[in-house]
Amino acid sequence: MTMAPMEGTDTRKIAVWLFIASEVIFFSGLIASYVLYRGRVPKPEHALNVTLVGVNTFVLIFSSLMMVRALAAIQRDDQRGLRLNLLLTALFGLLFLSGQAYEFSSLFREGITPSASLWGSAFFTLTGFHGAHVFVGILWILTVLAKAALGHYSATNNIAVESVGLYWHFVDIVWIMLFTIIYLLP
Amino acid sequence: MAETHVKQPNYVGVFIILAVLTLIEIGVSVYVNLPLALRPPVLLALAVVKASLVALYYMHLRFDRRIFAALFVVPVLAAAAFIFAITR
Repeated sequence: MTMAPMEGTDTRKIAVWLFIASEVIFFSGLIASYVLYRGRVPKPEHALNVTLVGVNTFVLIFSSLMMVRALAAIQRDDQRGLRLNLLLTALFGLLFLSGQAYEFSSLFREGITPSASLWGSAFFTLTGFHGAHVFVGILWILTVLAKAALGHYSATNNIAVESVGLYWHFVDIVWIMLFTIIYLLP
Repeated sequence: MAETHVKQPNYVGVFIILAVLTLIEIGVSVYVNLPLALRPPVLLALAVVKASLVALYYMHLRFDRRIFAALFVVPVLAAAAFIFAITR
């Protein structure tokens, strides 16, 4: 008898991947509308701070490294490593959001707001929804961190750490694409 | 999980590659005078390589069950086709 593709697979992990699949479609709509509107109105090149956003990109990629190290730690039953790396992931996520808040306020000062132009509307919707995903990710990480502090996880029981990690890396992947599409493409 | 043996690749090495690729992206976009027509394919290819590295190594798709890779790649291809179709 051949094995069904999902047989013996943890259903919670399948659920996380299905959720991520739905998120891919969600962001594809926002990206498509951004690219469409960008072609109709000029992008305010002068106001976009590629250096700041580039640094922010490093921050988010580094947070992904911390997240994968948190999972690796608990897979060898290293409780301290799990807690430390989860905390660092959340802190670097907060750093990313601070950078984004600074960027948004600089744009506002330049008169670029969600309601000022078609470009602004598409830009803030897209980056705002990504930022909201980072925020939700931080809350999720802190929840897992609180349970980790109570000793909930072990080398054989860590699906919750793996799940929040998958979500966090996905949010990182979305940013990798947005950084190129919004800031680097002409 | 007992069901899958998760190999642990060199996570720091992957990070260093991601960081170097990001520097190359910024370099290509800001400092290198690439012909305008060449920029989108080069920059998008670099971004796709970075995204793939995260998915393969940090999300363990390279070592995990194929079904997870399928659950991710199919919607990504659908999304790419959708974005291409609607914006070209």
